Amino acid sequence: MIQKTKKLLLNPWFQLVLSVLFVTTSEVFLKRGAVEAPRLPDEVNWTGVSGLASPDVWSGILFVIASFISWLYVLRFIPLTIAFPLSNFVHVLVPLASWFFLNEHISVQRWCGIALVLIGVLIVAKPVARMEENL
Amino acid sequence: MTLFSALLIFIALILFVLAQLFLKRAMEDDLRSARFKKKFAVGLSTMTVSFFITLGLLQHFELSYLYPFQGLSVVIISLLAAAILREKLTPRLFIGAALISAGVVLVSLS
Repeated sequence: MIQKTKKLLLNPWFQLVLSVLFVTTSEVFLKRGAVEAPRLPDEVNWTGVSGLASPDVWSGILFVIASFISWLYVLRFIPLTIAFPLSNFVHVLVPLASWFFLNEHISVQRWCGIALVLIGVLIVAKPVARMEENL
Repeated sequence: MTLFSALLIFIALILFVLAQLFLKRAMEDDLRSARFKKKFAVGLSTMTVSFFITLGLLQHFELSYLYPFQGLSVVIISLLAAAILREKLTPRLFIGAALISAGVVLVSLS
């Protein structure tokens, strides 16, 4: 059991999945935190630094760090031309999470864009999946 | 969207791309070497600046609108990884990357 978990955690493809899930979670927290944060005068407001007053922003930051660690592990083993396009599955997950958790509206055009991203990710992923099967 | 926020979105994007290239190079190195530390530090700092600019932008725009701008980074990173890091970029990988970027642009235009 421990051996299996360890093997799974050391698998760069599993870490890539984790990284994507962590990013999605962090974005939802960051958006919630950024909105409830106090607005500073406009000259300094663009840095978003006032967001640090919100606990949600800190949860978001924790998930950013977690995704970053997973991502560093991925970078060590998977070429950027494969890992980075695959990591863009977040562009499917984040709008879905915005819609589900933050009640944001998604227009038809936006759904089409999300579908295109999904197709692109699948095109990159397919030869990789075959490659892995042969290992 | 004002010119200033467009500029901020652009800067955040460029810094993000640079960070990925530096971090990739760093992670392939010996993790105890000085070269690793240098590249890692550059990657981490550019990513941090990019992060705080993005956080500021989130206070003004909806997440599902703003976030996908980073999707443009797919094509840019794929091309630069091939050019600078000498990674293999097959036509299939490039088409996939281009579709992802196109989808992301479509999302951000709506």
